[in-house]
Amino acid sequence: MSTEHFYPAEWTLDCCIKCNICTSACPVAAVSDLFPGPKYVGPQAARFRAPGQPSPDHSVDYCSGCRVCNMVCPSGVKIAEMNARARAVMVQQGRVPLRLRLRNNLLARSELLGRLGQPLAPLANIALHNPLSRWLAERTLGIAREAPLPHFARERFTTWFRRHPRPNGAARRVVYFHGCSTEYYEPRVGRAAVYVLEHNGCEVIIPPQNCCGLPLLSNGEFAAARAYHQRNVRHLVAYARQGIPIVGTSTSCTLTLKEEAPELLDMWDEDVQLVAANTFDLHEFLLLLWEEGALRTDFRPLPWRLTYHPPCQYRAHRLGRPAAEIMGLIPGLEIVESHAACCGIGGTYGYKVEKYAIAMEVGRPLFDFIAQVGGPLVVCDSETCRWQITHGTGKPAVHPVELLALAYGYPPEGALAALAETL
Amino acid sequence: MEAATLDVVVIGAGLAGLMAGWQAAVRGCRVRVVAKGWGATHWHAGCIDVLGYYPADSQTPVAAPREALAQLVRATPRHPYALIGTAALAQALDAFQQLCAAAGYPMHGSLERNWLLPTALGGVRPTCLAPETMIAGDLRRREPMLLVGFRPYLDFYPALAADNLKAQGFPARDVTLDLPRPEQRRLVNATNLAQLFERADFRAEVVDALKPHLGDAARVGFPAVLGMHNALGVQRDLQERLGRPVFEIPVLPPSVPGMRLHRILTGAIERAGGRVFEGMEVVAADVRDKVVEAVWTEAAARRKYHRARHFVLATGGILGSGILAEDTDTLREVIFNLPLAAVPQRSDWFDAEFLSLRGHPIYRAGIAVNERLQPLDAAQEVLYTNLHVAGTTLAHCDALLERSLEGVALSTGFAAAQQCEAKNT
Repeated sequence: MSTEHFYPAEWTLDCCIKCNICTSACPVAAVSDLFPGPKYVGPQAARFRAPGQPSPDHSVDYCSGCRVCNMVCPSGVKIAEMNARARAVMVQQGRVPLRLRLRNNLLARSELLGRLGQPLAPLANIALHNPLSRWLAERTLGIAREAPLPHFARERFTTWFRRHPRPNGAARRVVYFHGCSTEYYEPRVGRAAVYVLEHNGCEVIIPPQNCCGLPLLSNGEFAAARAYHQRNVRHLVAYARQGIPIVGTSTSCTLTLKEEAPELLDMWDEDVQLVAANTFDLHEFLLLLWEEGALRTDFRPLPWRLTYHPPCQYRAHRLGRPAAEIMGLIPGLEIVESHAACCGIGGTYGYKVEKYAIAMEVGRPLFDFIAQVGGPLVVCDSETCRWQITHGTGKPAVHPVELLALAYGYPPEGALAALAETL
Repeated sequence: MEAATLDVVVIGAGLAGLMAGWQAAVRGCRVRVVAKGWGATHWHAGCIDVLGYYPADSQTPVAAPREALAQLVRATPRHPYALIGTAALAQALDAFQQLCAAAGYPMHGSLERNWLLPTALGGVRPTCLAPETMIAGDLRRREPMLLVGFRPYLDFYPALAADNLKAQGFPARDVTLDLPRPEQRRLVNATNLAQLFERADFRAEVVDALKPHLGDAARVGFPAVLGMHNALGVQRDLQERLGRPVFEIPVLPPSVPGMRLHRILTGAIERAGGRVFEGMEVVAADVRDKVVEAVWTEAAARRKYHRARHFVLATGGILGSGILAEDTDTLREVIFNLPLAAVPQRSDWFDAEFLSLRGHPIYRAGIAVNERLQPLDAAQEVLYTNLHVAGTTLAHCDALLERSLEGVALSTGFAAAQQCEAKNT
């Protein structure tokens, strides 16, 4: 990890020149008075935050954590990190009401929910998705009744993987970090990733792994997030030490392993840094293969025009748009890239009853853009963004790797299977 | 590796960088623009100043830039305009005007005459190209104007502007309106006002509130927040409803007219197949002999590599943080550590007066280049043959004082792109 340009978030507040570019770009401030904007809540409020002092914050919890402010700041101020830390202080000081904290912890424990719910998938899906239980969940817990909860999969991804025959003669080994959503909700994304990696001569290794902890980080539950990250590092570091890349399909999980967890939790030991330095977004990894001339391009054409929305957490890797570049290699496929700031969901943000309307308003420019482009489905790398996009547009959403797997000739699943029948 | 080699990497996404990226992409180059964040476009007035004062410390605005430019080029052969030539400047302005017109946002004006437009403080500002939304404010005409502000919007005080204009003999009055009820937000900034102005119902309510105050006003000035995507439509609708010309006055950053130009330029780059990435700060470069091979940008967990045949350095000067004052008395170009020219003695960096008409000597410091915009060392030798420098990073020009900032940016960005060739051409 390069550290010479690394400064703790708080040190960067003096770099702020108050130009307000962040406020002009902030998708939440654009639609709600409850969040006055990154400049006010970040570097300006930071002047009033001191260790051991009561938190002066009221509005910081309305930051959705999209990190658009960081991306546009011309002065290198780490606004999003300041906000995340300030929220953690509010949580620590008991400034978040107990009921909401219980709700936040429930939403942020995607792994726990998956472990409990997935084995009972058909039943749990009925229980979670009927109007009465959603109404109850809103009244008692504050989980917005309209917000797009996912469906549990009938089979866990790793159950499928154990059954999946390993290819012979792999040229290199790759660790796959599948994340909770692939494991419990959308195993089709993991299957597509395994096909694509194996097609390119990789042996896929799936060591035991936890939730990356990002939902906890973005709800200010730092202690719990630390425990998750420590366990993940323990499971992954042996591979990192051998230089085996750790590749993920969830752009927020990989960002957490690379940067969010170490930075927000001040974890800088050698193991944490080794794991960070060896973690890759899947398309970042595929693009590196392509640059080496090692990516197979035996694609069959996909004659579609589809909207692609790069999630905020993907842009925050500061890699450009690797998935768009890889999809650009598929003949016939026309990708129309969204420049919308955010879909609104912000991980768990849009599930909260007090933030649901804001999240939908934030997503509106994206939903309008998707409607204007048309097309049978939408492409997006992040799971909660996909669910929000489907909720906001009525169109199914797929991960870019699903298109790639289809172009390589693997059987499509879900929404893509229906579309592939038209080929 | 060959597949990953770009034709051009542009460092910086101000007007110079975006112009270079657009022109290179139009010439068939594979272009990537990388920038630390958004910057100059969001800070400037959304007009193109080419030459406002000449000599720079003159107190009389330049009336006809073309004549003054000819004098400047003869008198200061190291000035960026002199290096690239006024023909390149004229070509750059022409290309830019065509682009903006095609985007439905015409920039009016020419090198034959400067506009004189009112500032938010009621000053008089010479500028060469101005968007259609601003030109009815021209102070070469004397029709009385009414300046409109909004009570919850703190970045424009119409009374201040009107009083200063009156003191200089320009007939002006002011009025401050409350926002229509449902739009009364606690926090009103330029971008959310611009969104509101795109709505016909909001405009109708503003006009209703404004009509009783019109009096003898022959034109009406608003802060520059009249819509983000459809500024011309917003302006025309207001003009129809008010029955007189309407104009915008640029206000404090973030600048809505600047954002419109940012949107037009980045859109043009992408349509031409290029890419623009913000949040990518260049932190290192690989150089060999006299060639820049690649640059590295800061990214999560490790750096990202960008290999290209040509590089355009458009990081801005001291204001854009392309040049930093490291300790108390040394200046440093931040990426290639290029030598800086025209650096005065430390004691002479600043004039004694903050708002000095002579300017501050330190702002003339920058990178010395040849006619191909390649950086030079003290012995006038080219340092890197495939590196071209554009914008306010260049030495021998006080763009703030002579009011040439956007003209220098656009024309040197244009000229830098002319130095870049696509691999297959």
